[in-house]
Amino acid sequence: MSARSRSYKPQNERTKKPVYCYQCVAGPDLLRVEEEDGIATRVESNYTLEGKHPADGRVCVKAYGLIQKTYNPNRVQQPMKRTNPEKGREHDPGWQAISWDEALDIVAGKLREVRDKGLRDEAGYPRVAASFGGGGTPTQYMGTFPAFLSAWGAVDLGFGAGQGVKCYHSEHLYGELWHRAFIVSPDVPRCKFVINCGSNVEASGGVVGVWREADARAHGLRRIQVEPHLSVTGALAGEWVPIKPKTDAAFLFALIHRILIERNPQEVCDVAYLSEMSNSPYLLGPNGFFLRDPGSHEPLVWDEKIGKAVPYNTDGIQPALTGAGKVSGVEKGPDGQDWTHEDIPGITAFEKLIEHVRPYSPEWAQEKTGIAADTIRRIADEYLAHASIGETIEIDGRTFPYRPVAVMLGKGVNNGWGGYQTTWARTVLAVLVGALEVPGGLLGTNVKLVRPAHYRADSVRHGEDGFMHFPFNDTSRNGWQPKPKIRNAYNTLVPLAADSPWSPALGPAHLPWLFQKEQPENWPTATKPDIWFCYRTNPSISSWNAPEVAERIAEFPFTVAFAYTQDETNYMADILLPEATDLESLQLIRVGNTKMMQAFWKKEGWGIRQPVGKKTVDCMDMTEIATQLARRAGLLKEYVAAINRGSAGIKLKTDAYDYSLPADAQPSVEDIWGQVAKAASHEVSNGAEVRDLDWFRREGYMLREFPETNWFLAQTLREQGLRFELPYQERVYRHGRQLANRLHEAGVNWWDTQLDEYEPMPSYVSFPDIWIDHIREVGKDPDDFPLWALTARSMQYAWGANVGLPMIREVANNVAGHRGVILNPETAAKAGITDNDWVLITSPTGVTRGRAVLRNGIRPDTIVMIGQFDHWATPVAKDFNLPSLNSLTALALSLTDSTGSGSDITRVRVERDPDQSAKRKRRA
Amino acid sequence: MTQTAHTPRYGMVVDVNRCVGCQTCTISCKHANDTAPGIQWRSVLDVEQGSYPDVSRFFLVVGCQHCAEPPCVPVCPTGATFQRDDGLVVMDYDTCIGCAYCAVACPYQARTIAHEADFYYGRPTVQEQHAAHPERLGVAQKCTFCIDRIDEAKDRGLTPGVDSEVTPACSASCIAQAITFGDFNDADSKVSQLARGHTFQINDFLKTDPQIRYLYDVPGSIDGLEDTAAHADAPAPGTDPLAGRLQTFWDMRAAMNFILGGLGSGFLLVACAVMLGGLVTPMAAKALLVAGAAIISLGLFFVFLKIGRKSRFLNAIRRPQTSWMSREIYVVAVMFPLIGLALLIGVSMLLAALIGVAAAAFLYCQARILHAAKGIPAWRAKPMPPLLVATGLAEGAGLYLAVAEALPGINPAGWVAGIGAAASAVALGAWMWLVAGARAHRIPPAARMCLIEASRLYVPAMAAGIVLLALVPPMGGIVVVLAGAAMKAWLITRAAYQQGFVLPAMPKRGSGRRASPPRLTGFRAGKPAGAA
Repeated sequence: MSARSRSYKPQNERTKKPVYCYQCVAGPDLLRVEEEDGIATRVESNYTLEGKHPADGRVCVKAYGLIQKTYNPNRVQQPMKRTNPEKGREHDPGWQAISWDEALDIVAGKLREVRDKGLRDEAGYPRVAASFGGGGTPTQYMGTFPAFLSAWGAVDLGFGAGQGVKCYHSEHLYGELWHRAFIVSPDVPRCKFVINCGSNVEASGGVVGVWREADARAHGLRRIQVEPHLSVTGALAGEWVPIKPKTDAAFLFALIHRILIERNPQEVCDVAYLSEMSNSPYLLGPNGFFLRDPGSHEPLVWDEKIGKAVPYNTDGIQPALTGAGKVSGVEKGPDGQDWTHEDIPGITAFEKLIEHVRPYSPEWAQEKTGIAADTIRRIADEYLAHASIGETIEIDGRTFPYRPVAVMLGKGVNNGWGGYQTTWARTVLAVLVGALEVPGGLLGTNVKLVRPAHYRADSVRHGEDGFMHFPFNDTSRNGWQPKPKIRNAYNTLVPLAADSPWSPALGPAHLPWLFQKEQPENWPTATKPDIWFCYRTNPSISSWNAPEVAERIAEFPFTVAFAYTQDETNYMADILLPEATDLESLQLIRVGNTKMMQAFWKKEGWGIRQPVGKKTVDCMDMTEIATQLARRAGLLKEYVAAINRGSAGIKLKTDAYDYSLPADAQPSVEDIWGQVAKAASHEVSNGAEVRDLDWFRREGYMLREFPETNWFLAQTLREQGLRFELPYQERVYRHGRQLANRLHEAGVNWWDTQLDEYEPMPSYVSFPDIWIDHIREVGKDPDDFPLWALTARSMQYAWGANVGLPMIREVANNVAGHRGVILNPETAAKAGITDNDWVLITSPTGVTRGRAVLRNGIRPDTIVMIGQFDHWATPVAKDFNLPSLNSLTALALSLTDSTGSGSDITRVRVERDPDQSAKRKRRA
Repeated sequence: MTQTAHTPRYGMVVDVNRCVGCQTCTISCKHANDTAPGIQWRSVLDVEQGSYPDVSRFFLVVGCQHCAEPPCVPVCPTGATFQRDDGLVVMDYDTCIGCAYCAVACPYQARTIAHEADFYYGRPTVQEQHAAHPERLGVAQKCTFCIDRIDEAKDRGLTPGVDSEVTPACSASCIAQAITFGDFNDADSKVSQLARGHTFQINDFLKTDPQIRYLYDVPGSIDGLEDTAAHADAPAPGTDPLAGRLQTFWDMRAAMNFILGGLGSGFLLVACAVMLGGLVTPMAAKALLVAGAAIISLGLFFVFLKIGRKSRFLNAIRRPQTSWMSREIYVVAVMFPLIGLALLIGVSMLLAALIGVAAAAFLYCQARILHAAKGIPAWRAKPMPPLLVATGLAEGAGLYLAVAEALPGINPAGWVAGIGAAASAVALGAWMWLVAGARAHRIPPAARMCLIEASRLYVPAMAAGIVLLALVPPMGGIVVVLAGAAMKAWLITRAAYQQGFVLPAMPKRGSGRRASPPRLTGFRAGKPAGAA
């Protein structure tokens, strides 16, 4: 009698191919896929990475969907052409199968036609637009398609990832400005106390995030989770503090109030850090700008040693945080406006900060947030108790300050209105105790706007006034771009969006959709792109007001969709190109270093993704598609040149090596990645070990050391004599004033509310009222919408294009809330709703349906819909009958903040659906 | 790492403070073990406790606990479920008949039976075809602790729990390092070290000694743990994953075995007693024996219809040492030939006595079969054996009296009605003990409600039956038979809620009064990574 499986093959006799998973921004994770008889059979962690990868080479639940993703019978089996000229949800596309040759010729023909007309249309916008899914992850799958785009020229990437900037938007922009932190993370392994306002890191932090947080909890990290709904992250926190939605800024301001007003800052703050590493000692003029030395124009500080105002960068001074005497100097305002002051009372930025937060007492915040004032006080005191001011820690033989406290913000908190206030407050909280960019404290993970982007520390460059350089979009009279380069106008409307390759995606990406419907005054016509490419994105589901965005998509004249299965966006496409998916195509990418979300590695290098098993559909590698399109569109030379320049992730020719592709020959997929393999291994090994593609296919990755000490930027700033641009935002304020002047000169008044947000220190606004006022704006009664609706991250579904995978659904359903809308039992009882009832959720602008999931871990004034659903075309998902917040939220200027982002929140009412059946939902 | 010289005792420590409920273990298990849609040998429950604003939420890794005293093993009639020396409770798919006795005996909802091949998209993908396991159809299946990997470790000189390739997939894939696997007999193993912290076992009162221990330390806020046992009285508003579900392994077909088996054996017992008293004609005696055997046979036939692998049904005789199901078959194997003999040579006093003894043994086996199903609190409760034996006897007497009324040659002796009434009274008493003591028997709330509901009909019916047995015996007999059948059907298909998961302690964390205590003095314990 035996219990052993007859078919069992020992692990070491199995073929396991190394690949990477980059289905979410927390990637890449390196894994291995078993292959038997030409079939990809199983996924597992890459155990060879134990000790090298920050989570020992493990992969999360999503990676295990890859097998089913590959063999999903609902995949688009070959290229398709639309035969029904009518587009829209109600019009069957009438797909007709065609050959790859025909499909590529149709697309290339259209490209040549457009190129003959000129790259930009009559409104000045690129005729070709492209949308790729969120967070830059599609780049890790699209092979050399970026080289094709580069060869093409102007492309409008401003429709965003296919939806609005649904991201940590304020954190991205302000985070990079302040501490090179496109994404912010505590130094989790060393952190002891985290105040977490709604960051669902246990669902969004990826493998490394979960790994580090779990380790930290085991070591005693205490987390206070402040959020309206008890998320999986809140579940793991020591304390859950249910806060009223969108009032986080009030809570954070009150924490600062507690520290600065009720406690003695001289005793509880890191005074040395404040005076040396922040702009707290900078003196301010009465107009709100720094008071500057009349000669050098450098900002002045009050030197306690000599009792006099001197430029901040004077050697041997002791800058005062408070108590300056009379001072003289000049203020530099917007548009060259100067003011000269003599013997005015010296006020430091720190004193201004104290005055700024004085009104925001815990009692004031209690009324706004629903959190007891004493709780707010106690949390602030716990924060201070853990800050360990004065302590140091040794890492790799170097001594650093040790400040194990941090404040984290969730997407719903720092996206849209309130984002500036919350990101500012949390970063100020770090600065007050010297916890910004030091071990234990608040760190950045990566940069996307400043350059060079590869190493954060390298991006620390001298800028104005003792701060790091930041490439604001120019707002001066001569430098401002009155004509947007692309439809979302990031370079015209958002100085903070900068102008890097990532900037188009970080502009107000929902405005192009909105402006298609409502043309704003004195603004270029919102034209439709002649050709729209979409890849790994489904804006008809993932946008705010998704149903309306689907209508706009239907109006685009020619859409080329790289298509995995039929979905709600490619339903409107003209051509479907089934690309080889995750386990079917070849690519090498950079791994390691520090990346989103918490991917702090002590190694860096390159990893591979390669085909596993035989293809079962007539799909094509994205690199081959790019090469074919380039050739057929007559751009082969430019395309190869772009690859040689580095469009495939690395320059193929530098002073150290030359692995460039021949300029005029059509390269194969293997040619391209073979040369990348050589260049990459050359780079990693400094030329000592140049490896070919087969080596990477076998080994999976090549790594070198990346010192942990690189994680902490405070040291880098200190070494360069720089300081953090906090708490005072003189540059932001000046840009705001200048931008206001420019827009008004151009007759643009519809951005005025947004312009009000450019304050040197942000004031509290009653943020919830913005959404309540919007109800009136659309002509409805706020009393009819008594609840808040929010969303929450699903680790299982997010970003994986895996709503069509029943295995993912099966395991996701183990996590509460995946079967419908989460309601507090009290709220449900009032509406006569019981668990599992069908409910109707109505917002001022939309409606959605689903089943009620009663949970106690949610405020009675709030409901939550996890993930993004309401599919009507995607196989499998269209039978989920799940509700979606995206069907309820509005696209509206009034809900757009100054950085151009909205937020996943709306007012709603919930009622029992009179028709308690799924059919009703499908009909709707 | 070297192999241990001692016999290992494999098990796991699951850290509740680490687990985030991400289901990576769930899905990696599905990969490693090629489980079919909906079958999860490993899964993680998402549990909420309390009500707003005093709420906590936690995640509980569940699956086969590889108990040191596994209730599934002794009940198995075939020996397909057995325990190895290293502690693994394993399945031999080729022996199992799919009777599901192990599934109802498991207090951890760890076992499933899939009767049909199922695929995620209806038709199998090439991968599903490749990874299909037809040997698992119609038989019990559950977590094996990735037994093949553990055995591979022996061959390769590796250590499960240390070398990831030979560690159970759930543990080797866990992204929070919440699931640690290893050898509890090795004092230096990581599981042994972790188990020295604050741990608990699920449903520890059942004395199964599960080999998954749950660690619930929260450094810095250990003072103040939540005892969650009380949750059983306060069911969550939605679906409480800790609450036991209604078992569906044994359906009406299984119930028919108890309904007809109890009735038939009780009837034979009474009939034999009457024969011993010389109160029936020889022809009638034979008829009574045929009737009793037929009733029992019909019950057994229903069971046969229910088992997953019918052609292997004879395997059920392999475990008479421990399994009441095997024993029942042996009793049948003795009883039926005796009846056959009696039909051939006539019902002698000796044969009547022997058949009576066999019938009593059969009835007793039936009572013990249900009682040994530790996974179903209502069945394993102490009143169950007297309830079923007394019911069988009452039903047997009742049926006899009804038959005696209708058929010639059978004497409806007054003492039979007396036996019927007495047995009915005992059954009713046992039922009252079951219902009134339900909480003490740790019967979960849903099952308690169900029992109370059943009492509304059962108690008056039985009381009426007793009275009628005295006044109009045949009528009383019919009432008792019907009440007994309905009660058994109800017990098996309606009140059969599984144990669920009772946890003696959990980390203190959550909102309001469930929140962990503040730390206002800073926290120094625990050396941070990278600290000098």
